[in-house]
Amino acid sequence: MKTNFKKIDPDIYEKHGEYEEIKNNSSELTQKEFEEFIIKSGARGSFMVYRTDKKDQELGIDEL
Amino acid sequence: MFVLDMSENTISLQNIMEESMKRIHNQSYDEWIQNFALNLENIWNEPSAKELEFNNTTKQYNRSAIVIGRGPSIRKHRHLQLLAQSDYQGSIICTDGSLASVLEAGITPKKFPKFYVITIDPYQIIEKFYDNSIIAEFGSEINGIFSTITHPKVVNLARNAQIKIHWLHTLFDYNEGEKSFNHISSMMVRAKKHKNGLPAIQTGGNAGTSSWFVAWRILKNNTVALIGINHGWEEEDTSEMIRSHQRQITQENVELVTKNDPKFNNYFKKIHNPDFNCDTIVDPLYQFYRMALLEFIERSPSWLKTINATEGGSIFGRRITSMKFESFLKEFHC
Repeated sequence: MKTNFKKIDPDIYEKHGEYEEIKNNSSELTQKEFEEFIIKSGARGSFMVYRTDKKDQELGIDEL
Repeated sequence: MFVLDMSENTISLQNIMEESMKRIHNQSYDEWIQNFALNLENIWNEPSAKELEFNNTTKQYNRSAIVIGRGPSIRKHRHLQLLAQSDYQGSIICTDGSLASVLEAGITPKKFPKFYVITIDPYQIIEKFYDNSIIAEFGSEINGIFSTITHPKVVNLARNAQIKIHWLHTLFDYNEGEKSFNHISSMMVRAKKHKNGLPAIQTGGNAGTSSWFVAWRILKNNTVALIGINHGWEEEDTSEMIRSHQRQITQENVELVTKNDPKFNNYFKKIHNPDFNCDTIVDPLYQFYRMALLEFIERSPSWLKTINATEGGSIFGRRITSMKFESFLKEFHC
């Protein structure tokens, strides 16, 4: 049966840019500068993003 | 070099940021293991977050949740007051940092019985979010959702306030297979209780994104609204406000970047939000949060609707419906 719902397959997701909207004159930040900022600004109030080749698992696992 | 106006460079930026965050956080790996070890007896004795589902099916429900962060727009638009005065019947999901101010605004589990709080950060510094007498006043009616690697002193504060503790795993190294801590800790949890294990969530790096995941993955809501999830500063926020916010997190008087720094704009980028026709300032940490949340919203199941009712901030784009919070409350009652 055909439906109007667009099926989203997490395995074929392709990332895309969303930063066209930046307005101020900014461009360069080195990885070192980024890390220094994060460490100084409180990385201990945050956590990491989980990545895996099994892309559906990046959205969580019902029972682990 | 980070260049933010081209797609492939944006992807590269996201990868670099995530790698950096992973490296920074992995330095605390030993601390997470200690936290888990000290939590384990309680994990065995307390319920899984899965028990918060009304039934254990994968069916989503025609109902909504509001995720509450502590971004600057929540004060600017008096969102807590609006919610407190509403007859909203859906779920209220507080990030740990917002819990006390939410209760103080009159949004209590007595009026809103489907009331949750979430902690995913594994650090003792989160204690301060639970060290408040108003939390003890309402704790027995609050469902708490905690990562198995939450610092035990944080969970103890919540437990002492009679918050009902529910456990889940936060994913960070499961991709490394059977020797990963995610896998080993899951085996230890199953050894005595929770034979089917616990839910494991993507955190997206912060409690706000984790709350969004819990709202649909675990609580099965098919509409999730965001308030106070700016992932950015308002233009009128002073640098002192920003430093003050950072001090609340770091408890240190650190100078991040001075206004006179020639690279100031590289750290604090101005983004235009076309949905709410406003500008917002994102620092590198917010860039990291923002990129992840935008990606995961876009990848979420088609039955899920994400509504940004923050009325500001940097969260807009594909699969996101932006609307005023007042309009959301008129349209969604449960």
